[in-house]
Amino acid sequence: MTDFTRRDAFKITAGGLAAAGGLVAMPSILRAANYPTRPINVIVPFATGGYNDRLSRAFAPYLEKEIGQPLVIVNKPGAGTQLGNSYALNQPADGYSILCTSAAPYIPLTVLLQNAPYKVEDFSMINLPSRDYTLAATSSDGPVKTFAEVIEKLKKDPTSLSIGVQPASADFANMVLAFQAAEIDATKLRIVTYDGGGPARNATAGAQVDVGFVGGEGFLPLKSKIRPLAIFAAEKVDWYPDAPLIGAAGIKTDFVEGSQRGWAVSTKLKNEQPEIYKFLVGAIERASKNPKSIETLKLQELATTWYGPEASDKAYLDNASKMAKYVDLLK
Amino acid sequence: MIDISAFNDALGIMFTSAGSWGWIVPGLIVGLVFSAIPGISITMAMAIVLPMSLYMDFFSAIVFLTSVYTGAGFGGSVPAILMNIPGSPSSFATTFDGYAMSQKGEHNEALGYALFASTLCGIAGYVLLLLVIEPLADIVLRIGPVEMFAVAIWGMMLLGSLGSAYISRGLLAAALGILLGTVGMNTAGFTRGTMGLPVLLDGIAPIPAMIGLLAASQLLSLASRDYIIEAEGSREVSLRKILKGCWGTLKYPGVLLRGSIIGIIIGAVPGVGSSIGNLIAYAETKRTAKDSATFGKGNPKGVIAAESAVASGEGGSMATMLALGIPGGGATAILIAAFMMHNIVPGPNFIETQKPMVYAIILNNIVQAIVLLAVGIGFIYVASNIMKVRTRYVLPAILVIATLGTFAVTGEAAGPITLFVFALLGYALNRYQYPVSAVVVGILLGRMLETEFLRSYQLSGGNPLYILERPAAMAIFAVMLASLAMTAWGKRKQNRAEAAEALAMERLRDEAAARHAAGATKS
Repeated sequence: MTDFTRRDAFKITAGGLAAAGGLVAMPSILRAANYPTRPINVIVPFATGGYNDRLSRAFAPYLEKEIGQPLVIVNKPGAGTQLGNSYALNQPADGYSILCTSAAPYIPLTVLLQNAPYKVEDFSMINLPSRDYTLAATSSDGPVKTFAEVIEKLKKDPTSLSIGVQPASADFANMVLAFQAAEIDATKLRIVTYDGGGPARNATAGAQVDVGFVGGEGFLPLKSKIRPLAIFAAEKVDWYPDAPLIGAAGIKTDFVEGSQRGWAVSTKLKNEQPEIYKFLVGAIERASKNPKSIETLKLQELATTWYGPEASDKAYLDNASKMAKYVDLLK
Repeated sequence: MIDISAFNDALGIMFTSAGSWGWIVPGLIVGLVFSAIPGISITMAMAIVLPMSLYMDFFSAIVFLTSVYTGAGFGGSVPAILMNIPGSPSSFATTFDGYAMSQKGEHNEALGYALFASTLCGIAGYVLLLLVIEPLADIVLRIGPVEMFAVAIWGMMLLGSLGSAYISRGLLAAALGILLGTVGMNTAGFTRGTMGLPVLLDGIAPIPAMIGLLAASQLLSLASRDYIIEAEGSREVSLRKILKGCWGTLKYPGVLLRGSIIGIIIGAVPGVGSSIGNLIAYAETKRTAKDSATFGKGNPKGVIAAESAVASGEGGSMATMLALGIPGGGATAILIAAFMMHNIVPGPNFIETQKPMVYAIILNNIVQAIVLLAVGIGFIYVASNIMKVRTRYVLPAILVIATLGTFAVTGEAAGPITLFVFALLGYALNRYQYPVSAVVVGILLGRMLETEFLRSYQLSGGNPLYILERPAAMAIFAVMLASLAMTAWGKRKQNRAEAAEALAMERLRDEAAARHAAGATKS
């Protein structure tokens, strides 16, 4: 190390940058051809142990077989998925980062309510097997028996029943829409807010609140402690057939679908690396249709239904536009 | 009550899957080591080993994970006692008397007290659980926001016993802590004090903030010394003294019992961590003790009270998890995930159909606690050797490990940055004699106070008479007030007695002086 000047260092750095730039600019086909050569990161914007985390870990062995590379689950929780989503978009669009997330309603909500620095269209869905719906429920020993009864009581006196719900959620929008349709004065309601589906469910099962509006799937382990009043779905839900549909409650109301969870990538990847995108779609499709994976995931109460990219994207975008339509209800 | 035939089946499960017992010791060690590292919480330790457990069969996986949980419940108290830096928030109250003891050269005994308080109450917690798991779970679900608010206020009363030179500065520090605790999006969806940073939407991460506040001041004050304890003779690591502490724990059955009960109930309530049980048990023991003035100056009862609530809280938390499928805190959320990954969904259905398995899990936890008695003694024996290392080696190592630990929580720079910012704040607070611990209590309780108050308000529609419909909340408030009044009454009596004594002394002195004066005039 004799005459190593700052100028030399600069030259070397510049050269390195140029080389790196060249690497990035290499024709995408060349890189796609030998994809994948190393493990793939699955970004889960939730903490360990949540639905998406479990889904990614349970599905990983089957997907690994199809991809031919190990999957690494990366948990990036926080700020209602905004941190994980931003992280995913900041990764190079080379197919080595995919998302397993509750795309709807979290991505639209972070955009609409938290001014997240991305657009709904920045994400492309590959498959969203898990579809959740808002469930209005009461404690199993509570006095209320039907949703019509809830409407009737609240019409007479909006303070007669307390209501538990998570603010700025699909459930909240559904609650407001239903009460608007029933012409209930929403300003006088006793609405108790919870910062997550879990606490809201506990409050419902423990009769802290008279009626809870929460995503229905999470209620399944507590099924014996609650009475379902109305589920906000158009057709009978296969995982909770005894839940009466909101349409049967005697009011005409629009509603937003609940969480849609599953596999997604950045739209940049889909557009710039069509080969890699196609490869991933194929791998996820085969893994989802693998009878062994269906059986294993079913035992863990996880969904594997194959809807495909088009149907999944449509469901996701529909949810986003409905959220945008009703965003004022959420604020 | 206990179902005898299911209990017998449970014993069967325990002994037929004896191979899984092999996971107890590794699990305990993992838990002890991770939680002893400042910045890594119980939840994190469990999250790290969760993927590993996927490759084990069901009972082994559960044994391994619950062993990590059991070990982690105690590990945090080791740095709390030796260095005044709690390994996790649930051992914060342990620092008050634990560190004071170790400064007196009684670190061996303090660790012994903490270990036995932790394990004995852990065992008590699980035994109780075996008997009342179902009714307990049902009661827990009925605990509403008003009751929770009462509990949070109870925790805040700890502030009164933190002792600071200036009351005004103590209150100001607590208010600052509560404000910091409410940063982020609140339960009603309003965002406060995030300065536009998305990482702050979930609030200030309590662990890096706590480590920053406490460690900064602590490390700076240690930096001026050669060793953590200055007196050379006090630095010894003695198994005999550790065992003396262990044995000494048994002399305070009342403190153990109270701590266990507080721990179980608070641990069982979903969403309330053992950090709050730890604070309340300490505050209650201090308030009711005859020698409350010596608390904070190295009273073993303080260590025992604080630790007893942590381990028993685990039992409570486990009850809610098994009986309802509801996680009491982060660690049990991970346990639930582990159950689900092995195709078992905890909840009312699980406890009805698989009672032997539930009992087997509880029994295994009791075994773990007993094993921890032995493993723990070994662990503290090794860990205490840090006393013999010069601070110039210890401090940088701790700083690096704590920074890495906070980074590991989210895998983002947000952790270390929080640590750094709060370290500066901690230094400033110390410099101007504001009690740092009051800020920590505020941060730990601020969010709970606000959330539960807001929900109580929403639920009651703003009508204060709503509390009349909540007898449990009234009972908590009544007990709290009664206990406060009794303390005040006791203090007053004590003050009066002291005043009378002082008066008597003065009179004596006066008389003596008068006699002296009289003598002087006579002569």
